[in-house]
Amino acid sequence: MLGSFLRSLQFLGLAAILLFLLAPVILVFPISFSADAYVAWPPSGWSTRWYGELLKNEELTEAFSNSLVLAIYVTILTLLIATPAALVLARNTFAGRSALVSLFTSPLLLPSIVLGLAILVIFVGYGLVGSWTGMIIGHLVITLPYALRVLMTGLSTLPPFVEDAAGTLGAGPFAVFRRITLPLIAPALVASAALSFIVSFDETVISLFIAGTRLKLLPVSLYHYVESRTDPLIAAVSALMVLGILVLVIVIERAIGLRKAVAK
Amino acid sequence: MYLKVESLEKRYGHLVPVSGLSFSLGQGELLGLLGPSGCGKTTTLRMISGLIHATSGKIIVGGHDVTHLPTYRRNMGVMFQSYALFPHMTIAENVAFGLEMRKLSKADIAQRVSSALSMVRLPALGNRKPLQLSGGQQQRVALARALVIEPDILLLDEPLSNLDAKLRDEMRNEIREIQQRLRMTTVFVTHDQTEAMAICDRIVVMNRGKLEQIGTPHEIYERPSTPMVADFVGRINRIRCRWRDDGAIAFGHTAIGAVSTGPAGSEVLVMVRPHRIELRSAGAKAGRAEGENTIPGTVRQVTYIGDSLQYAVESEGEKIMVEQATTSAGDTYKPGDAVTLNWRARDTLTFAAEADV
Repeated sequence: MLGSFLRSLQFLGLAAILLFLLAPVILVFPISFSADAYVAWPPSGWSTRWYGELLKNEELTEAFSNSLVLAIYVTILTLLIATPAALVLARNTFAGRSALVSLFTSPLLLPSIVLGLAILVIFVGYGLVGSWTGMIIGHLVITLPYALRVLMTGLSTLPPFVEDAAGTLGAGPFAVFRRITLPLIAPALVASAALSFIVSFDETVISLFIAGTRLKLLPVSLYHYVESRTDPLIAAVSALMVLGILVLVIVIERAIGLRKAVAK
Repeated sequence: MYLKVESLEKRYGHLVPVSGLSFSLGQGELLGLLGPSGCGKTTTLRMISGLIHATSGKIIVGGHDVTHLPTYRRNMGVMFQSYALFPHMTIAENVAFGLEMRKLSKADIAQRVSSALSMVRLPALGNRKPLQLSGGQQQRVALARALVIEPDILLLDEPLSNLDAKLRDEMRNEIREIQQRLRMTTVFVTHDQTEAMAICDRIVVMNRGKLEQIGTPHEIYERPSTPMVADFVGRINRIRCRWRDDGAIAFGHTAIGAVSTGPAGSEVLVMVRPHRIELRSAGAKAGRAEGENTIPGTVRQVTYIGDSLQYAVESEGEKIMVEQATTSAGDTYKPGDAVTLNWRARDTLTFAAEADV
């Protein structure tokens, strides 16, 4: 009696937490199809006009494509830098190794407003503010720690001695990496790529500091947009972003599912 | 000698897992590296395979110094304790890997892979993934993968320790059979003395990074050169005594005869294997042979373990273990029985007391 009562109480609590967490995400979908000129619940009518408005809004479409290109560059560079770094850090024991790991992952602990300000102060001197180069470097500061963490974990789950075994069978270091290590850490690579992409695409604070006024990025433009207006256009953008990230999460899930398939 | 290891040493700062290690083995010989965990046997194997670099010393294979060659140029087949099969490749791809690295033709590879899998009696499993196989099957794949490259030397690192007892004996004999058929020069690392005795031509007993003794299984067991070896390769009694001036060993009121002698008055460590001691009733006079020790004692404890009976006998204040094969006759000694302990002088192993550490 008491047990089942407690269980249903538990279930209700869980449902309440889920609703609380997901309500804003779910709500943007109906609001994005609103026919009203402002955000209101419930909408007085339904239409796809705000998606049309979005396509016509030059600033937001430009910012969207900029953010997309930036996220792709950042993701590729993150993998190119983080993979060799993770290999060195996960495989070798040398003096200062754990200090280096802490240093490389420390940006995760800093508030991004502190990071953004620090990066701004340095970039001003080199004329990097508002430039693609500056933007890419700024984002790498926050994507690299994530990627490094995920890749180092991926490397540590490699079955013991498979790389050694490949070496004894005549594979040189490069062949070992290409034929053994790379396929086995593929799930970690996919996960860190997806993570880097999302982090870069969503990053607001650092972008706000470094993008300046010339380079338009989606989170920054949205931020400026909501400062002045409250129409359902913002809900349309949000709905698209939620969908896009959902796709990425499914990619990650598939990648980790893939690992399960390999490791049983 | 086909493989020569000369004054091999490995250092990690203050740690010296292997030092001053020298041994050699001939073509087609199976040599065991035997010792307790942490004795440096696996480190030695990894140095031979090139997976770790020797701090000093030499490794010579077929007359060529390979000490400074990287692993992938050494042509050694290694079988790992955990098998280390590539989980993302099929069994056939696993076995083919070493041949692909050697740039053999596709047809050649396919033919060699299938004959290697037949050799380990797994011809039909080529398309499976390693994790779909049992432990024993995975091990056969690992063996096939190590042998298909026709290595100069086969290195086996505790290959049987992940198998259950029955399968272990079967695999042990199979490895020996294949090794003899191919006349494959092999180094076999194990901590299990029975395993080493059963299949090795010669055994290197290692302790604390150093060689204790090298010899045939028979030599290691019957003539251990140190107390550590005597202790490690089988159950044994150890008694501390002193040499008498007549060449015998003082043991309380009686004496123990041995083949060797030592300086009168000096301390000696006496070791006797429990199953080399025969128990007789204290009254019985019969059957006393020349050169045989007869020591009186009292049975304190009897343990029945099926194929043998273990007696704890007290004699001159020492506890001596005796093992006798059980028979269907079933008349055994009971605690409290007065008995004599009888064994041949040549079964008395003696060591300088300071060798006992």
